[in-house]
Amino acid sequence: MSSLLYNPPFAKRDQEQFLRELTELTHFQLEGCEEYRRMWPAWKCAVEVSQFPYIHVGAFKQIALRTVSETIKTGRVLRSSATTSGVSSRIVLDPKSSELQSRSSAAILADYIGCQQRPLVVLDSAIGLRAIGGLSARIAAAMSLRPLASDVMFLLRDSNDPNSMKWENIQRILDQEDELLVYGFTYMLWLAWAKNEIPERVRDILKAKRIIFVHSGGWKKLEAIKVSREELDTMLLATGGQGSKVIDFYGLVEQVGIVYPMCEHGYRHVPLWADILVRDSITLELLMNEPGQLQLVNTISWGAPYHNVLTEDLARIVPGKCQCGRHGKRFELLGRIPNVEIRGCANV
Amino acid sequence: MLKYGAALMSKSLRFMQHGMVTAVTLPFDLDTAIQCWLHVRLAMLKHMPAEFTRDEWAYIVSFLSKESLLDPFARSFGARLLEGDAEVSTYIARPVSGVAVWLPNNVSLLGPLMLILLSLTGTRVRMKAGSRATDLTGTFLDFVMRYCPEGSFRTYLNNKVYHSVFGHEDPRNSEMASEARVRIVFGSDEAVAEIDGLAHPPGSQCFAFGDHRSEAWIESGCWNKSTVNDLVKVFSIYGQAGCTSPSRVILINGLYDEALSLRDTILRAWPTIVKRDPPPHLASANVCACQVDRALGWEAERVERNHGVVSVGNFTLRADPALMNLRIVPATIHDAVANLPENIQTVGHALANSEDKRWLALVARSKVLRFVPLRNMHFFGSVWDGNQFWAGIFEYVQFSL
Repeated sequence: MSSLLYNPPFAKRDQEQFLRELTELTHFQLEGCEEYRRMWPAWKCAVEVSQFPYIHVGAFKQIALRTVSETIKTGRVLRSSATTSGVSSRIVLDPKSSELQSRSSAAILADYIGCQQRPLVVLDSAIGLRAIGGLSARIAAAMSLRPLASDVMFLLRDSNDPNSMKWENIQRILDQEDELLVYGFTYMLWLAWAKNEIPERVRDILKAKRIIFVHSGGWKKLEAIKVSREELDTMLLATGGQGSKVIDFYGLVEQVGIVYPMCEHGYRHVPLWADILVRDSITLELLMNEPGQLQLVNTISWGAPYHNVLTEDLARIVPGKCQCGRHGKRFELLGRIPNVEIRGCANV
Repeated sequence: MLKYGAALMSKSLRFMQHGMVTAVTLPFDLDTAIQCWLHVRLAMLKHMPAEFTRDEWAYIVSFLSKESLLDPFARSFGARLLEGDAEVSTYIARPVSGVAVWLPNNVSLLGPLMLILLSLTGTRVRMKAGSRATDLTGTFLDFVMRYCPEGSFRTYLNNKVYHSVFGHEDPRNSEMASEARVRIVFGSDEAVAEIDGLAHPPGSQCFAFGDHRSEAWIESGCWNKSTVNDLVKVFSIYGQAGCTSPSRVILINGLYDEALSLRDTILRAWPTIVKRDPPPHLASANVCACQVDRALGWEAERVERNHGVVSVGNFTLRADPALMNLRIVPATIHDAVANLPENIQTVGHALANSEDKRWLALVARSKVLRFVPLRNMHFFGSVWDGNQFWAGIFEYVQFSL
C-alpha cells in the first residue's frame, strides 16, 4: 500500500519513501510475474529510480502480463483505444490497485478542479460500462472523475457518433445545478460539444453555468483536421458561463490512476506517488531539459507490472519551479516518437 | 541533351539456347537502350533525389551495369548471336501488348527495378504504386526522363510507360487488369487474390509475388567474421520486412552454446557494419522486441545503440513479428527442413561444402525457391520466386522457313 497517497499530490517529495515503496513493489512484481522476471534476469536492486526495471509500453499489446499472488485478485481487463497500431494494450485490473488508482486520480484532479462534488456528464455511451470482462480506455478515463461527481450521466446514444447527444437529459441536470463537470476524449469534446449544434434552450442555460471541461486522449485526430488547443478551448468556453475552464490531462491505460493535467502555465506535474524519466531512444541514457522518450513510474499498480513503463511519447523535463506553485518534477509533452516508413522486401 | 540513334529502328536480336535460335523483336535498338540506361546511371552518380536513401540509390546504380541489363536476355534466350552468324531463327519472341504491375506499399526498390527490367522488353507498362508509402517509382521515373537521352528509347518510355499512385478501391485497378496481357502482382496474399479476382482477358498471365519468408542456414563451425558480416549486411537492410531477408538463422547441427556465441559475435559486429543510428521509433521498437522475446523464453540481447535485437531459442517458442529482431535456432538438418515456413522463398547458406549433393537433393524435395550464398540473398536474376516472369513478358512465334 502506498503511504505517499495519503499526502497532498504535489507537496514536497519524500524521495526515500518513494524508493522504498518502489523497491517493495518491484520485488513483488518480479516474484509474481514470470514474464517480467524473464525480461530483467540480472536485476537485483536499485538506488535510483532510473535503475528500476521498466517495461516498454508495446509489450502490453503482445503479452498478457499478470502478477500472481495470494494478495491479488485480478478482474476486468482495461483496453487502450488502439488508435495508432490497431492493437490494444491489455491491463489486468485488480481491486487493490483499483482502490489506490481511484484515490490517486481523484486527488490529482481535485488539485486542479477542486474537490466539491458536482454532476459529471460524460461524452460517451453507458454501454461501455456494462461490457463484461473488459473496459475501454475512454470509460476508464471518465471514471477517474467519478469520486468528484455527485452524479454521472452518459450523454451519447452511440459512443462513436458525436451527433447522438441526448441534450434533453442534460437539461434536467442543469435545472438543478450551477456547476457541471464535462468529460470527453479530446476529439469527441470537439465534435460533440464545441462544433455541435446545441439546442437553443440548452445553450441559454449553459451560458449561466460554470462548466469544467476535462478531456484526454490526445490531439492526433484534431491535429489532422488542424484544430488547435486555443481553438478548442475558445469554442468550449464560449458555451459556458463565468469561471468555466478547460483541463487537458495526459494518461495511459498502462498507468491507470496517474493522470497528468496541464497546469495554467502549460506544464504537467508529477504527484508524490509517481515519477517520470526522459531517456534518449538510442542510448536509453537519461535526459534533462531535452526531448526524449518518456518513462512513467508509480507505486500504486499491483495486479501486473505496469508500474514502470517506457512510453512512446516524447517529453521534456523542465527544470526549475513552476509558477503554479506545485512542487516536484514538471514536464511538457511533445507528442509521439515520429514513426518512420518501414521499407521492406528486397525482392530485387 | 545527348541523342542516341535519332531514328532507332525496330531491330531483331538473335539468341541461341539448346540449339534453338530465337529472334527477339523490340521497338528500339537494345544496345542503344542500354546506352541510355548507362547515361542515366552516370547522372545517378552525381544526383540523388531526397526520397531515396543512399543504400537504395547505390543498389539501383549497381543494378544498372551493362551485364545486369543484358542478363535477362541471356537467361531467357541464351547466348547472343553476332551479326552475320548463319543460324536460322526457329522462334520469334515479341513483347506482349501490355503489362500491368501492382507494387506493394512497403517495398522500396521493387518499383524502380521493375521499371528497368520491363523497359528492356519494350512492352507497354502500367505500374501502380501503393498509396500508403513514398512513391519511389514515380520519383525514379521522373529522374530517368530528366536524364535519358533523346531517341526512340526515350520516346518509348515517354509514350508507353505509365506510373500512377492510387488505392486498392480505385476503379483504375479493374481497368489495368482488363487490358493487360500479363499481370504482375506484388503484395500480401490477400492483395494478390484481390487483384487476380478482377476481370482480365482470357488466357492472360498472372505472375503473383505474395508473402514470402527467407532463412539463413549456417552450418555449425562454418562461420567466421566474414560470415557474420554478410549476415548482418543482408539482414540490417530490411530486417524482417524483406522477403529475401533472413527472418531467422538456423545453425545447422549447432549446439545451444554455439548459437549464443554466434549471437554475441553478431552483437559485436553489428554496430561496426551499420554505423548510422536507427530512427528513434525503430530504436524504441527494438527495446520492446527484446523484452517481448525474453518474456517468451528467447535469450535476447539488444545491439548497441538499439540497432536491433538478436535472440537464441528453439522452434517451439512463439516468435512475434519484430522488424529488426534476428533469431537464431540451433537445429539438425532434419528439423530445419521440417520447420521451414510454408511460404519459404530463399535460403541463404554458409555451409562447409555447398556442392555436397545432399543439399541439392534436400532443396529439390523442399519448397525452397532459392538456395544461394548468404551474401547473395537479395540478388535476383530473371527468375523471381520460381517464376520466369521476364521471359513471360514475351509471346513466342514458331518461325520455320
